[in-house]
Amino acid sequence: MSAPVSAPGAEGARLPRRDFGPITMTDIVRYQGASGDMNPMHHDDELARSAGYPAAFSVGMLGAGYLATYCTELYGVESVRRFRTRFRAVIYRGETLHARGQIVRVFEQDGERRVEIELQARNDAGAVVIDASAEFACDVAAP
Amino acid sequence: MAQMPIERGKIREYAVATAAARSEYLDDPHAPIPPTFLSTVVFWDSVADALGTPEAAQACRDAGVEPDVRNLLSLEQEYVFHGPLPRAGDTVFTSSRFDRVNVKEGKSGRMAMMHYALEFRDADGTLRAECLYTSAYVQAASVGGTA
Repeated sequence: MSAPVSAPGAEGARLPRRDFGPITMTDIVRYQGASGDMNPMHHDDELARSAGYPAAFSVGMLGAGYLATYCTELYGVESVRRFRTRFRAVIYRGETLHARGQIVRVFEQDGERRVEIELQARNDAGAVVIDASAEFACDVAAP
Repeated sequence: MAQMPIERGKIREYAVATAAARSEYLDDPHAPIPPTFLSTVVFWDSVADALGTPEAAQACRDAGVEPDVRNLLSLEQEYVFHGPLPRAGDTVFTSSRFDRVNVKEGKSGRMAMMHYALEFRDADGTLRAECLYTSAYVQAASVGGTA
């Protein structure tokens, strides 16, 4: 399935910004139910406080899932070849995740053109809470 | 090892939960999986099996860190796809793999970085996808203020 022609395809190109959130308890429990990660630290405020956190906090993989969505909306659902995510900081309810991405490499592999994308999700204060690196097949011609 | 059926409804549920609105996920009876969908393998198999092997525990002790699951932090996950993406209607077969350990001196003490993986194969053994995990055992009992 081809990527839409609006998807960035050149080295150095920036992906259009996108925001996810503000993250609610509903977003968190919906992701926990969908993913099967029922760790109560993500929905039990009392438990989280007893462990020294100000409140229950979001699931790292929810933010990673948003970054994956950010990419598939641009490059198509069949194009993903690799998706790596690193958890840098916890995210609390009420925060918005600001997704950014940039193409760092364009290369050929297995007979197709691919882009390597560096992605970040930042919180409202500008701190990177999740970063990710992804490879997508991309047949958009370089300008 | 476990069998993991890739289910259309689960893909739709996962897509909605991650704000993915593409009709291929929501309406296609043979929907492809979203990039991080294989995290739902926990409904079918235990992800951390590879850490329970004597090999992994010994590698950790050799690195000078006691493997205590209460001090296990999830740091990184990577999904690698080989060939066409798994899609609704497919069944994949999982197997766990311990890769290696390396030691890092972090702010909160010595960490044993555990690298392990789940492989997803077709019935005929063809590798379709891998989840590569990096988690750390932290030596000091100061993880996230849980002490």
